[in-house]
Amino acid sequence: MKPVAFDYVRARTLEEASEMLAAGGGAARLLAGGQSLGPMLNLRLARPMRLVDIKRADGFRALAADDATLSIGAGFTHAEIEDGAVEDPARGLLRHVARGIAYRAVRNRGTIGGSLAHADPAADWVSVFAALDGVAVARSARGTRRIASGAFLRGAFATALADDEVLAAVELPLLSAGARWAYRKVCRKTGEFASAIGVVVLDPARGLARVVAGAVEAAPVLLPATSEALRDHGPDAAEAALAEEIARLLPHLDPAARRLRMVAVRSALRDIAGEG
Amino acid sequence: MDTGIASPRLRIAVALTVNGRRVSAEVEPRMHLGDFLREQLNLTGTHLGCEQGVCGACTVLVDGTPQRSCIAYAVECDGAQVTTIEGFDADPTMAALREAFAAHHGLQCGFCTPGMLIASRDIVLRLGDVPETRIREELSGNLCRCTGYVGIVEAVAAVAAGREPAADAAAVPVQARVAAPADASVAPASVAAAPAALAAGGAGIAQTIALGVSADAAWAVLSDPRAVAACLPGAELTALEGEAVSGVVRVALGPIKVALAGQGSITLDQAARSGVLVGRGRDGGTGSSAEGEVRWQVVPRGEAASELRVELSWRLSGALAQFSRGAVVEGLVRRLAADFAANLEARVAGQAPPAAQRELGLLALIWAVIKARLFR
Repeated sequence: MKPVAFDYVRARTLEEASEMLAAGGGAARLLAGGQSLGPMLNLRLARPMRLVDIKRADGFRALAADDATLSIGAGFTHAEIEDGAVEDPARGLLRHVARGIAYRAVRNRGTIGGSLAHADPAADWVSVFAALDGVAVARSARGTRRIASGAFLRGAFATALADDEVLAAVELPLLSAGARWAYRKVCRKTGEFASAIGVVVLDPARGLARVVAGAVEAAPVLLPATSEALRDHGPDAAEAALAEEIARLLPHLDPAARRLRMVAVRSALRDIAGEG
Repeated sequence: MDTGIASPRLRIAVALTVNGRRVSAEVEPRMHLGDFLREQLNLTGTHLGCEQGVCGACTVLVDGTPQRSCIAYAVECDGAQVTTIEGFDADPTMAALREAFAAHHGLQCGFCTPGMLIASRDIVLRLGDVPETRIREELSGNLCRCTGYVGIVEAVAAVAAGREPAADAAAVPVQARVAAPADASVAPASVAAAPAALAAGGAGIAQTIALGVSADAAWAVLSDPRAVAACLPGAELTALEGEAVSGVVRVALGPIKVALAGQGSITLDQAARSGVLVGRGRDGGTGSSAEGEVRWQVVPRGEAASELRVELSWRLSGALAQFSRGAVVEGLVRRLAADFAANLEARVAGQAPPAAQRELGLLALIWAVIKARLFR
């Protein structure tokens, strides 16, 4: 349970972290909270030659907002979101989700940006990011790039980030007062990675209606037909469209796994209906 | 690979405060905080159970909040204030918890106790008087190998009774944001997939990939092991003698990078435009092995189009198998298949496959596995 020897450097800025990554030629790895990377290091599954610690880099922990969007620095911890120290642009969704991530001792160290960049398909933020149609802000010594959620997550443990890019922030829409959301996570034990996730976000004032099936062992799947039915005709119509769309978009899952995703999404839709 | 990294520095200086005492030391970067506390400071009250962030026995306070000392490295904690179980002698909440743990039989073998007490103190101070279900939820990150949870939960409830929760956390100030447009996305290739029969004890996937080239043109590439390898992200063919192949497949699964080296055999049926690759490979670094089989066939779809049908089955063993959930590997294989198809089309069209596709993530890993068997 001891990692392979590695070197450790601390980046003062995200640009410096980018240069350190580039200099490492693929053998360097970013370290934020380290709550996913740490176990892999200890198990010797991950064997980077150098860790580039960005926890204390300038600009990694900043909040910025305009009328429609909140930009959340990637370095905020799950616990800071859970406690409300970080403003919740989604009217409680983020706080709710944060509380269900792993355990408090992990939430005190793990970061929202680290979780997204790690891109475990069963991680909570991965599905929430997709459901809110967020934007990932990637910083490198070459400049800043904004990547829409649909393009950011390429698959399990794979993102659109280049080798020298650091996830600096996530931009999420500020939901309006009439917005509703529901989040259902299926797992056997509190704090575990999800077996299935269903997320529903409905904000009529913004024309936002997104239904996402998550923890599908690849990038989360947006259900466009179900989302459209939700926006135009409400949760019952969305539920009516759900089974066919899940079958169509997730044909590769085995029947039990597919059904689990359907139940998670359906439960979330019923949560929305119950509020309405 | 030019990593630009010489051998890791052996030791790095850190200065932190432990139980109110300033400590300076030189540590190996890989030394986790728990080992530092136990081995260098002799603070053996911090217990190490799983050393992978699961059991909670090693929980300590870092800058006032409970954290796992097995997945925080000492070098990261430079400048931090750390409190171990030995540092609570003057803490009235901890004194109350100690008494309550004894009174409610929350102690038993004692291995989980330091972590339980530090987590419990956080529950009491942060949440105050909460229902038992919430206490259990909050304690779910601390495992008791004696399964003595009933007494522990009762002890926490007794100390929490009548207490107020902590005040809300101070809000982080919000600055004005300057917006900019998002980049365009990369369009995914169209790939249809269906479950395939599984190899015994392993996993499998069947894919049909539409190719914008004739069956003959596709087969010209797919009957040439070197050309196939060139289209497979991360694959490198080192030897080819008759049906025997050997090579390396490099794949990345997030931070996990493996190079599966091995041998296999490749059998082609020119008339049916089909091939079978069987092989096995091993990654010395992680001690992981993969074996598998790839069957592929090119089927004409008119004059200028064809379909590539691929069936993959694989079995992973070793550390990689422990880590990867089966469906994650399936997803990885599907994405690899899409990249493979894109490279194949480019190659058949006379273009070089896109360079720099050395490691593609999980799907790449699966392909790598397959490839290791098939193409090495």
